This record gives sequence, C-alpha cells and structure tokens, in this order.
Amino acid sequence: MPITFKELSHEYNLGTPFAYLALDHVSLAIPEGKVTAIIGETGSGKTTLVQHLNALLLPTGGELEVAGRTISSNEKPKHLKALRKDVGLVFQFPEYQLFEETIIKDVCFGPKNFGVDEETAVQLAEKYLRIVGIDESDFHKSPFDLSGGQKRRVAIAGILAMDPQVLVLDEPTAGLDPQGAKEMMQLFSRLNKEYGKTVLIVTHDMEHVLHYCDEVIVVADGHIREQCEVHEFFRSVELLKELKINPPAVIRLREELREKGFQIPDDMIDVEQLIDAVASEVKGHE
Amino acid sequence: MAKIQVCDISFSYDKETNAVEHVSFQIEAGSYTTIIGHNGSGKSTIAKLLIDLLEKDSGSIIVDGMELNDENIYTIRDKIGIVFQNPDNQFIGATVADDIAFGLENHQVASEAMEQIIQTYAKRVNMSRYLLSEPTHLSGGQKQRVAIAGVLAMAPQIMIFDEATSMLDPQGKAEINEMIQSIHRETGMTIISITHDIEEVSHSDHVIVMDQGHIVMDGKPEDILLREKELVALKLDIPFALKFTKGLQRKGISCRLCTTMEGAVEEVCRLHSKN
Amino acid sequence: MNNFALGKYMPLDSIIHRMDPRAKIGAMLLLMVAIFIPAGYIGYAVIAVLIITAVFLSKLRLNFIWRSVKPMMFMLLFLWIINVLVLRTGYVMFTVFGFKVYSDAIFQTLFIIIRLLLMIIVTTILTATTKPLELTLGIEDLLTPFKVIHVPAHEIAMMISIALRFIPTLIEETNRIIKAQTSRGVDLDEGTLKEKLMAILALIVPLFVSAFQRAEELANAMEARGYIPNRPRTRYKQLEMTFKDYVLLLLSTLILILNICIWKGFI
Repeated sequence: MPITFKELSHEYNLGTPFAYLALDHVSLAIPEGKVTAIIGETGSGKTTLVQHLNALLLPTGGELEVAGRTISSNEKPKHLKALRKDVGLVFQFPEYQLFEETIIKDVCFGPKNFGVDEETAVQLAEKYLRIVGIDESDFHKSPFDLSGGQKRRVAIAGILAMDPQVLVLDEPTAGLDPQGAKEMMQLFSRLNKEYGKTVLIVTHDMEHVLHYCDEVIVVADGHIREQCEVHEFFRSVELLKELKINPPAVIRLREELREKGFQIPDDMIDVEQLIDAVASEVKGHE
Repeated sequence: MAKIQVCDISFSYDKETNAVEHVSFQIEAGSYTTIIGHNGSGKSTIAKLLIDLLEKDSGSIIVDGMELNDENIYTIRDKIGIVFQNPDNQFIGATVADDIAFGLENHQVASEAMEQIIQTYAKRVNMSRYLLSEPTHLSGGQKQRVAIAGVLAMAPQIMIFDEATSMLDPQGKAEINEMIQSIHRETGMTIISITHDIEEVSHSDHVIVMDQGHIVMDGKPEDILLREKELVALKLDIPFALKFTKGLQRKGISCRLCTTMEGAVEEVCRLHSKN
Repeated sequence: MNNFALGKYMPLDSIIHRMDPRAKIGAMLLLMVAIFIPAGYIGYAVIAVLIITAVFLSKLRLNFIWRSVKPMMFMLLFLWIINVLVLRTGYVMFTVFGFKVYSDAIFQTLFIIIRLLLMIIVTTILTATTKPLELTLGIEDLLTPFKVIHVPAHEIAMMISIALRFIPTLIEETNRIIKAQTSRGVDLDEGTLKEKLMAILALIVPLFVSAFQRAEELANAMEARGYIPNRPRTRYKQLEMTFKDYVLLLLSTLILILNICIWKGFI
C-alpha cells in the first residue's frame, strides 16, 4: 500500500505569535517498492514532511497513512513506537547518534528497543553491518575509531537492523567525498532492489536523483510543486529553471547542444545515448 | 619567488601512521590552487600545518620568504586567512558585525576604526543588511559569507578554503564558489581551495592531488584532469566533459579531449560546422 | 520554555534598554544591598517606587513581570505557611480553627516576601532590558579593576559570550539527537530504570561527542583569526555612560543611603 498524505498540514509553534505553517494541505501518494527523491530548497518543508513518516511530528491538520496505520493530529503516542520500527528514519549526519562501546552493540540498540531478543538482535546487526560494508573484524571495535564515512554506515545499519519496510534518509551523502557518496547511493539502490525496501531520499544532488531514483517529489513553500518519474522530470528544463535547480551535467550538455541546433531528443538522460546522438550528427555531416 | 614553499613535511596524529608524508610543493603568488583527494587523504591536514594549528614533525614551510618557526607563527598566521568547513563552528561573534570584528579585535585595531572596516567587508560579501543578525537566523551560505568577510577584513595575502562549501546546499555552494572566484579576480590574492568539486578544479590554475598522505599529482588542471586512469584509480571524479569527449573518440570522431563543459560544447560545435 | 520569563531578554526599545549595562548592573547591586537593609515599610516603599518607575519606563508588560515572579509564588506561600506554624512571638492576631496566628509570623514573613519579590523584579528588569552580550561587556568592564588581583576579566567575558552564542546551537542539536534516537525506539517516558538509563546515555554521549568537536573547531577558527589568549585586544563594542546612567546610579545610591539612615535611626 502506498504512503498517503491526505490534506496534511503542519504548523510549528501552534497558537503562539511565532506560528509558522511548514506544510499546507499536502496530498500525496508515495509508491511502494521504489526509490523516491524528495527535493526542494532549504526551508521548503521537506524535512518536516519526512518527519511525519515515523510520527516524530504529528500533523496539525489532515492525516497520513503509512505502513498500515493512520496518523492524525489526535493519534495517541502508544501506537507510534511500533510505527517507528516499520519506518526507519535516518537523520542528516547520523554518525552523531552513535554512543555505544562497540559497533555491534550500537547496531543492536534499535532492534532491542523494539523488543527483539539479544540473539536475534545480534544476528540482524551482523547481517546489516555486512550489507553496509563493515568488516567483520571491526564489529567489536569502538564506533568512534572509524572514519566519518564508516561511522555513517554503522549508523545506517543501526536503523536497518530494525528491519523497517520503509527507509527514509535525510541528505544521506552530505559531507561525504564523491566516491563515498556514490557507494552510499549504490547501497540504497541495492536495499531497494535486493531487499525490497521502499526508499525515500531527501537530497540536493541532482546527479544522484538522475542515477539512483525512480520518482521525484518537489516540495516548495510547504506545497507539493511536482511529482513525476525521474526521466520525465529532467525533460522539462523550464521547470528546472523555475525551481532554481542546477541540472545534472548530462542534461546541461544536452540543453546547450540543443540550443546550438543539435537534433537531440529532450528525453535523453543517458550519457552513452547522448554520445551516440552527437557522434551520428557530426558524422552525418561528413 | 613562490608564495608558499613546502619542503618535505611529515606529520602524524598518533605517532604511528603518517597523515602527511614527505610532502613538497610550491604555490605561486596570485595563483588559484585546488587540492583534491578523497576524505582522509591528508588535504585538510596540510591546511592546518600551513598555519601551524598542527605542528609538523619534520620538513620546512616557507611563507612569503619567511620560514615558519616558533617565533614567527603569529606573523605568518596574519598573512594567511582560512575559511573552514562547518559554518556554525567558526561563527564566533554574537552577531554578524561582532563576528567580523573578532579578528580586528585580535589585531588591536582601534575601536573607532572598526565600524568602517566591518561595513566595507559586510558589503563585499552582500551581508550589509544582516549586520545585527544572530547566527541562528542565517543560512549556512550566509554564515560562510560572514566567515569570508571576517577573514578578508584582516587583509591576508593568502586565503585557504578548507572544504568551505561541502556542508552547504546548492544555492550556498554556488554563492561561495562565485565569491571565491571574484575575490581571486579582483584582489589577485593567492587562493588555495581544498575541494571535492571537479568543476572548480577545472577553473583553477594549479591542482595538487593527494592520496594517503602523499602528493600523487601536481600540475595544471588541463593536464591532470586528462589522466583519467589515474584519477579513477584514486577514486576521484572525472570531469563530465572528459567522459563525453572520450566517448566521441571511441565512436571514431577525431575530437580534442576537454575538461570543461564550455570547452566540450565549443569543440562539438567546431566539428559540426567544419563538416 | 516559552512561559519562562526570568532571565529572558525582551527586545523592546525603551530608555531603560538604551542605558549602559554597567549602570544597570551597578544600580542592581546597590538596590540589592538596599533591599537587604531592614529599613521598614518606608524604605521598601521608596525602592518600590523606583522599581515601578523602571518597569513603566522599560515598556515591559506587567504580564511579563508576573510570569517571572509566578514560579516563586508557590515557594513564597509555602514559606508563609511554615512561618505561621513555627513563629510564635508577638501578639496573637487571630485564631484559625483554634490555632493562634502570631503577629511576627505575619509581618516578618511579609518583609521577607517583599524583599524577595523586589529582588526578583530588579533582576528581571536588568535581564529583560539588557542583551546578554551587553551584560557580558558590562561584567567585563566592571571586573577590569580586579585584574590587579589576577581576575582574568576578559577571558571570563569571552567564555560567557561564547557560551551564550552556542546555547541556541546546542539546543537545536539536542532536539535533533532526541529525534534521531526516538527513531531508534528510545522512549524517554516509559520503560524500566535500566532502559531509561540507556536512553539518557544515548542522548548524552552523542551530545558530548559533538560538543567536543565543536569546541575543537571553534578553537581552531579563533586561533586562525589571530586570537592569542592573554594578549591585549581592542574592543569593537564600546560602552558609554551618559547623563541618564549617572542619574540612575545617583538615585540608587541615594536610596541606599536613605535606607541606611532609617536603619541606624538617623531619620
């Protein structure tokens, strides 16, 4: 079942002079089993949006259906904890949530909070540490001895070990080097394809959107500005301009060449296809 | 003579593995140098060694003709301004004006003279409207601009940007990159930028590539960026323009290899019109 | 947090806001001493007149003053009840259910309560009309004479202002860590003692790790911008005493002298 927002609003500091409407009657259906990118400028409401998915924030109006539950403004906190097991939310710079003596203990912390017994928790932890690419020999080391990128993997394993159906990541590649970021995105892609997780990624990086995501949701000023498939999204350059988005390199080159009179279709998003198209056009003149 | 001469410096954090090992390089006065390498390759360590926030274990550093030693640390620090990665952790003052004033206070600039200097540099980074704003009300990009103003106000000869854009959103990144370029253009100051942005590298005068504490490549970007195999082996990004022009060559088109987007467009248009 | 008024700065524009923080701190200290002098109702009345005038001039709303006093009200009431039960001197004022209430219990406690209230209101006026940074500058200046006996006035002021600067950042960080750990199933409200301890650990450890990192980066940034501890620095923000500041100090001094005179029986 898809994740459905129905006329959901969220207002911070409700009833005070500092009240601020961050989400304004948002209706949205996020498909299951896909990788969906959530993009938008800083302060557009994307973080507020994703924090509703595991009920860290409750709507101040409207409702949300996720993982078989309905969340509305008067939902009792008792039912919320179980939801947090089904929807894993990875915060920005998640390495700052590590606290245990060893890596394995830290990853076990989440599942154990949800009542998983010690043995199963360790099994889950080992499984997901392997998936995120941590060496078995490191499992009993302190997480604080790892490099920044490794710490982040451990933190993500800590959420995965809760075995959520839905994985939500808030700017998971911020501060990583390009190679680290690429490996991270490949990991999410794998979690989606091999393990069937529904993945939502809040990101600013259009290269990642192009190469690793299926769908795009654009949030602007507390509204959903656009929702479509990735190849559709990079087709309309006008929209990208309007949203002040710097398109991926391949789209930038495609557009520049189109302006110079090259006959390149506007739905081309693959570099090899672009090379073929340009090559045949140049050769055609020979 | 070169502005900065680094001669065979080594440094280790834990006395076991060297974070920087036998590193030597030169930076010319007025040049724009980029230093690249994956996280943990030692590039930020180099920046800290240059201003003696970390003390080298061996080797020598000569800045503006002066060899760095215990006596002249402060003189050398005055010549080099540095903007760090985290916008929050380098905002010292309570407001924008106070933060720009911080360095001036250290330099014992007279109180009466400060207002003028603060206004000049706030204007330089387009933050005049925010002089009385507190950091919690500013975006990451705005905070970095304040940090740049704070450094510029101290009139350094060399500016180092230590991954100054890596924690910013695309808009902030673009703002800061544009600012670095314009500072270089207008002041002719020596700029060193530690970065992951291959586009920025292609617009610099000089690039140094680091890996595991060593310098593995050092030269002009238009030469270095063509060394695709080595860059791939170092797990670094390849300029998109290079991927594209390489692809055209594979298709049997005799085109020149390009490292910048503008170059690639120009080259393709040239081929197109020639035929 | 929003209901807590004691110690909170109110960004208004008033003559009191514009006064020199040194004068305000000085006046507060003088008035504090005056409040402690047992000068009877007349003495308190004089202080109260000055304070009420100051509240009026500061444009602070009475509701704000009330909110800063309110948390103390329960304590003051409690004090009164205890004193009524314990103090059994003076004359019997009235009898409640056969329990004799003595005059000293009523009046002595009333004095204490008036003193405490006046002190709270004086402090509230100072903190509500003076930016934390200005307070720091004021404290620095007032401490400067004590440099002779090796009080590091400037370093103290620097520490206070950095602490003030980072309080909002750390609050934000704490909220983020709470949310991140809540997402990992931490429940701060329920669970056994052991679970609660773990939950607290899960918040404290990350907060400390990041605070230490911030401290290190901040120290680097300060050094890189030429900060050398114990070296003389100039100061951007200069404080300047004007006529109104001297008037405030003069009034406060006069009140103090008046109260001493009443106390010693000169008047």
